[in-house]
Amino acid sequence: MATKAPTQTEFGEVSRIKGIVFKYVSFVASIVGILALGVLLAYVFWDALGLESAGTGWYLAYTGTLLVPLLAFFAYARTRPEVVAGAFELFSLTLAGVMLTVASVIILSIIASPAVWFAYFLTVVGPLLALFVYGQYEREATWVGLAMLLTLVAGPVVGTLGLGILTTLGSLLGSPGVYFLSLVIPGAALAAFLAAERFDASRRLSLGIGVALPALAVVAVPLVDTVPAISRSVWLIALVMLGLPVGYAVANTARTRERRSAFALPVIAVAGFLAGGAIVDAIGATKPSPWLDWQYLTSSPSISNAAEAGLYPAIIGSIFLIVLVSVFTFVFGVGAAIYLEEYAPDNGVLGTATRIINVNISNLAGVPSVVYGLLGLGIFVNIEAQLGPLTYGGFGVGTVFTAALTLSLLILPIVIISAQEAIRSVPSSLRQASYGMGATRWQTIRNVVLPRSLPGILTGTILALGRAIGETAPLIMIGAATTKFSPPAGLFSKLTAMPMQIYAWAFLPGEDFRYGVVAAGVVTLLIVMLTMNSVAILVRNKYQQEAN
Amino acid sequence: MTSQDMASETEAETDDDSLVTTDPGKGGLDENDDRGSVAQTGAGTVIESRDLDVFYGETQALQNIDLAIPENQVTAMIGPSGCGKSTFLRCINRMNDLIDIARVEGSLTFKGKNVYDTDVDPVALRRRIGMVFQHPNPFPKSIYDNVAYGLRIQDKTENMDEVVERSLKKAALWDEVSDRLDDSALDLSGGQQQRLCIARAIAVDPEVILMDEPASALDPIATSQIEDLIEELATEYTVVIVTHNMQQAARISDKTAVFLTGGELVEFDDTDKIFENPESQRVEDYITGKFG
Ligand SMILES: Nc1ncnc2c1ncn2[C@@H]1O[C@H](COP(=O)(O)OP(=O)(O)OP(=O)(O)O)[C@@H](O)[C@H]1O
Ligand SMILES: [Mg+2]
Repeated sequence: MATKAPTQTEFGEVSRIKGIVFKYVSFVASIVGILALGVLLAYVFWDALGLESAGTGWYLAYTGTLLVPLLAFFAYARTRPEVVAGAFELFSLTLAGVMLTVASVIILSIIASPAVWFAYFLTVVGPLLALFVYGQYEREATWVGLAMLLTLVAGPVVGTLGLGILTTLGSLLGSPGVYFLSLVIPGAALAAFLAAERFDASRRLSLGIGVALPALAVVAVPLVDTVPAISRSVWLIALVMLGLPVGYAVANTARTRERRSAFALPVIAVAGFLAGGAIVDAIGATKPSPWLDWQYLTSSPSISNAAEAGLYPAIIGSIFLIVLVSVFTFVFGVGAAIYLEEYAPDNGVLGTATRIINVNISNLAGVPSVVYGLLGLGIFVNIEAQLGPLTYGGFGVGTVFTAALTLSLLILPIVIISAQEAIRSVPSSLRQASYGMGATRWQTIRNVVLPRSLPGILTGTILALGRAIGETAPLIMIGAATTKFSPPAGLFSKLTAMPMQIYAWAFLPGEDFRYGVVAAGVVTLLIVMLTMNSVAILVRNKYQQEAN
Repeated sequence: MTSQDMASETEAETDDDSLVTTDPGKGGLDENDDRGSVAQTGAGTVIESRDLDVFYGETQALQNIDLAIPENQVTAMIGPSGCGKSTFLRCINRMNDLIDIARVEGSLTFKGKNVYDTDVDPVALRRRIGMVFQHPNPFPKSIYDNVAYGLRIQDKTENMDEVVERSLKKAALWDEVSDRLDDSALDLSGGQQQRLCIARAIAVDPEVILMDEPASALDPIATSQIEDLIEELATEYTVVIVTHNMQQAARISDKTAVFLTGGELVEFDDTDKIFENPESQRVEDYITGKFG
């Protein structure tokens, strides 16, 4: 009816009403979810930062010095993808560097004393790094991979056997000495390597960079000593863990002409903050009273005094979990995916078995997390087994290790599926090319399949990790504490995690807890997750460019 | 079966059974078989199939193929789409092993050794029989790394720079890429990529090169470059090439095998004979375009 019979000159008209209606319905559907989340986040940030109590003067000052310049920058960058990429890289690598620093400080000072770390650095980490670098330069040395594997197996054994002597050595050096040797020197080598290889710096310049970093580490010590909050060890760790990513981002941005205006973002942010603060002080405007501040991040939780409450033990617990879960899932998840995609037969009885396994991995990905908690309770906490002389009595109620294993089980199916997806997307013509050259299966996987699928594997793993650190149900099931006043002291010590602590506070009677403290916890958790996700995006983009 | 005539000429060269290896990772090839002297003998047979049947699940793709491929010559395989040319090619270096449902019966010998014997390591076999595919499939690595790929996986890393250069020269690609060996191979044009794949295949110095429609995705100029290259290669290597292009087969090959629908080998003879005076009416119809 909408189409008239076309005449010689007229083409008639085709009705598009259904299409238009559908388009707007889909638009509304997608907006509703985002809007709801946006409103919630706005509330949470509002509470966490205590913006309610701020005076008009404060708002005006920061709008003028920070908000308007930032918006202007975004408007400017909108049409310049290079600038956006540069700003994104600067921002997320800085954030990631901060987290890496925090994680390293915590892990290096809690799990292992500097002396013990030094022992294992000498026997495992150091040789691995050396072999890796050698392998990068001597492409023809095919034994390097095998040697690395051997180091990985034999190194810890040697380190444990020689622990006595090696720790004495470490103690002689003192902890700043240990970090200088084990972090700053390799960090400087890495920086010089990156400068030469990635940025095509001249030999002199890269050597200069390699020397400047240790020099800076030493020269700045008197300055660092004047700041009581930063010990010499923390300074050295931060120099490497924060300095290198930031330095990389800066160098990478400065290298491309079109990207350079991305530096406006950090300049605007820092200058805006300082200027805003100065104006607020000058006119004496009321400042906000944020819940999320340094005190919050560094003190233990309180259940009676909201002003003193902090998230420190939970943050440490979560960091432990992130590190362990990422190791477990990466090793087992990627291993399983490679086996299922590259080795497992497609036909016959075994092929049927493979298919059954594949279908069930998809099912497992949908199993509720409470059920995984129950599984963890069953096999990591409660089971007692006697295997000859070995007694297995579980890994303890609510310990770091139990929690990490349980959460790894939870996200393993997701990691496997996304890794399988990534491996499957490697064109079979590349595999054929490799086999046709007389490559063995392993050589094909190692040289063709893995490099090509790594971006997908990494993104999938990091996104799944984000899910793991936000989980509460499995942790409740394995008996993790909701409130703990001290951080875990080792793998078999009890922990709490950020979502658990937030959950505990949410039911306290005080309003300050339910609104302020909880909101601050949620914001902290979100910042950690967003950082992980942006690193995932960066990694994917990086490898995708390399693969093309 | 006209193809029987060739089989009688076979001088089975049982010079080595080094395809057999106890270490599948390394592919115990000994490189000391004296190929120079074999080349003098002219048209000795390198690859010979007898009663070869290939099945994909229940469907039969090749029936009773008897074929003897002469050394250091170009052997062309022509025939309509789906008649099993690629299947035959993949039988020679056992790439069919990668297809789960493929099943091979009968015998196919390479230098006198049946490649389907249980003690033959397909990886070692493929190191001696190179392959170039229908669509250029360079690795997403640098040009240099592409050519060096086979050298690295086969631990032949001495003088790698020289070997890479020599292979690129043989593949008539050196002049175009010598100043950008570190660039990605994917930035090359299709024809250059295909020549790169040929360079990659000859870098490891195989004895036979299998080519499955190597020029089908290329323009006429790139095609004629590849054709020149193939004729060049035939002085050193045994080349087996599948093509849909009759003129190409006529131009570059010494022997031609005509497969027809159903997976049978209808005629196998000198190229001149096939194109000028074929025995079988069906082959004549196919070549003149009346059918297929
Ligand atoms: N992987 C496979 N699985 C199942 N059947 C296959 C497979 N590969 C080939 N076949 C079948 O085997 C027969 C021969 O295929 P083949 O690829 O050898 O033909 P071809 O002569 O190379 O054709 P073309 O000239 O189109 O490349 C076809 O009928 C095809 O459907
Ligand atoms: Mg084919």
